[in-house]
Amino acid sequence: MSENAISLENTGSKHKISVSKKYVKRSPMAEIWRQVRKNKGAIVGLVILGLLVFMALTADLFYDYETEIIQQNISMRLQGPSWDHWMGTDDLGRDVMGRLIYGSRFSLSVGVVAVMVALLLGVTLGAIAGYFGGLLDNIIMRFTDIFSSIPSILLAIAIVAALGQSTINLMIAIGVTSTPAFVRVARAAVLMVKNQEYIESAKAIGVRSYKIILVHVLPNSLSPIIVQATLRVASAIISAAGLSFLGLGVPAPEPEWGGMLAAGRGFIRDSNYLTLFPGMAIMITVLALNLFGDAVRDAMDPRLKK
Amino acid sequence: MYRYIIKRLFLLIPVIIGVSFVVFFIMDIAPGDPAYMIASEEASIEEIEQIRHDLGLDRNLFLRYTSYLGGLLKGDLGVSYISKRDVFKTYMTRFPATLKLAFFSMIIAMIISIPLGIMSAVNHNTWKDSSSMVVALLGLSMPNFWLGLLLIIVFSLKLGLLPSGGDTSFFSIILPAITLGTGYTAHMTRTARSAMLDVIRQDYLRTARAKGVSEKKVVNKHALKNALIPIITVFGIQFSKVLGGAVLTETIFAWPGIGRLIVDSINQRDIPMVTGSIIMTTIFASVVIMMVDIVYAFVDPRIKAQYIKGGLK
Repeated sequence: MSENAISLENTGSKHKISVSKKYVKRSPMAEIWRQVRKNKGAIVGLVILGLLVFMALTADLFYDYETEIIQQNISMRLQGPSWDHWMGTDDLGRDVMGRLIYGSRFSLSVGVVAVMVALLLGVTLGAIAGYFGGLLDNIIMRFTDIFSSIPSILLAIAIVAALGQSTINLMIAIGVTSTPAFVRVARAAVLMVKNQEYIESAKAIGVRSYKIILVHVLPNSLSPIIVQATLRVASAIISAAGLSFLGLGVPAPEPEWGGMLAAGRGFIRDSNYLTLFPGMAIMITVLALNLFGDAVRDAMDPRLKK
Repeated sequence: MYRYIIKRLFLLIPVIIGVSFVVFFIMDIAPGDPAYMIASEEASIEEIEQIRHDLGLDRNLFLRYTSYLGGLLKGDLGVSYISKRDVFKTYMTRFPATLKLAFFSMIIAMIISIPLGIMSAVNHNTWKDSSSMVVALLGLSMPNFWLGLLLIIVFSLKLGLLPSGGDTSFFSIILPAITLGTGYTAHMTRTARSAMLDVIRQDYLRTARAKGVSEKKVVNKHALKNALIPIITVFGIQFSKVLGGAVLTETIFAWPGIGRLIVDSINQRDIPMVTGSIIMTTIFASVVIMMVDIVYAFVDPRIKAQYIKGGLK
């Protein structure tokens, strides 16, 4: 019956009926990747991200961290962009381009680790809330409400102020502020699959709850969680740069983009390249992540399926 | 309707208690003994002990929190360690500036995003659509504190047209409002576009067109009205975020609002000021979200009916 329906629906349209093609079984992930690959923006985003990761990993081949990135060299201070220093030097005579390249290590790692923290915390709590329901669900969700009603940058500021300024604490602060979103997404996703028959049969043969959640429920509710994670890395990078800009993130003299912007701000009148380049680095990174994240989201949205 | 509003107000209470506890608890971990912060440098150990006792710091966390909560209900959030002024009063003198900035930035975001979103949706999959989506994506990806610095470079330093900081004249608000509004503009443009796209293909619009209603009227009257709900939702969420998210913009433009108050207080380790300000901002943000829920009812009679029945939790 279904074959008939397909051929009827497609009569008159330009699309070829692909029923005759050999049926290929793709895993959901492979299907999403196939969709994402078709999106030009996603490819641009991925290439930029690849370059950034490559830069972050190979920075040591081109620069010596202690002498060129950290050490001050006052005689070379505030020199505009030139052949020797493509992006000029900062107020302490350090090469801006080298610092930006090393800065990608901080931004990328803070973004990724913070989201990992949020993912781990949020998905665990969300899965428990969704799977068990009842009182446990209520308690977890009310706590989530409380945490998400505090403006995220203020919550992050409070956490950094309480724990002290360091890169690890920055990751924790941003991770905690991103957690409520993951709790909600994971809970909703678990609720979707929880009542399906295969879960029921797993219960019936006596599989333990944690195993049902890990093996049967979560793998089937992954897609919205992945979309959330990709887009969250982008906002985590902006938040991290913002906190560092306020002097509450990665401590100086480490080359962090937000911190570099804050330092360059003092010289905005005569050396505005110190403001220009770090901001551009943040924007390009976030743009690349958003391009990719949007494409993944579109690929997973059944309404957009052609 | 009134019952619904009252019910929502009551629902705010547990949130406020929860938020104040979380913030109080987090700030309690903060290093540095408040008694040392208040005492003069030559104070003896006995004097510091005395201060600690006076502040009630020798009691346990739970007791301190309950007395703090009692104060919160009376509008008493303690006294600043640095300026020795009342935290609540200081907060309230700073709040109007932030509210003004938030309001203007949301106006900017609305003026730009709704027409842009509609234009994108009406011209779906054309160059107009894709170019406005690229602009929105750029706006979304740009850290707003960087945009603020760029605006200062161009409009204050190069062109000398607008002031770069403070709240001294009417023109002072232009750059901070644009800075703060841009990220929200981008987000709202996307929402307006997808809301319109959802509506624009529905049957009742086809009927309207078939009856000979002009395209302009179809879009502006019939479609927009139904697309407004998601737009208002996002608007409300953004507005509540603007209140807390103005920290960076206020720092860049030396805007005398609560964002800068919080950052300055953090740098001076003025714990009661930070705790009080974060709690107050959260309360205001929650009130905004509540108000948005009530505004729904005015936009959508279906929701109003539900509120009146009391069927909506």
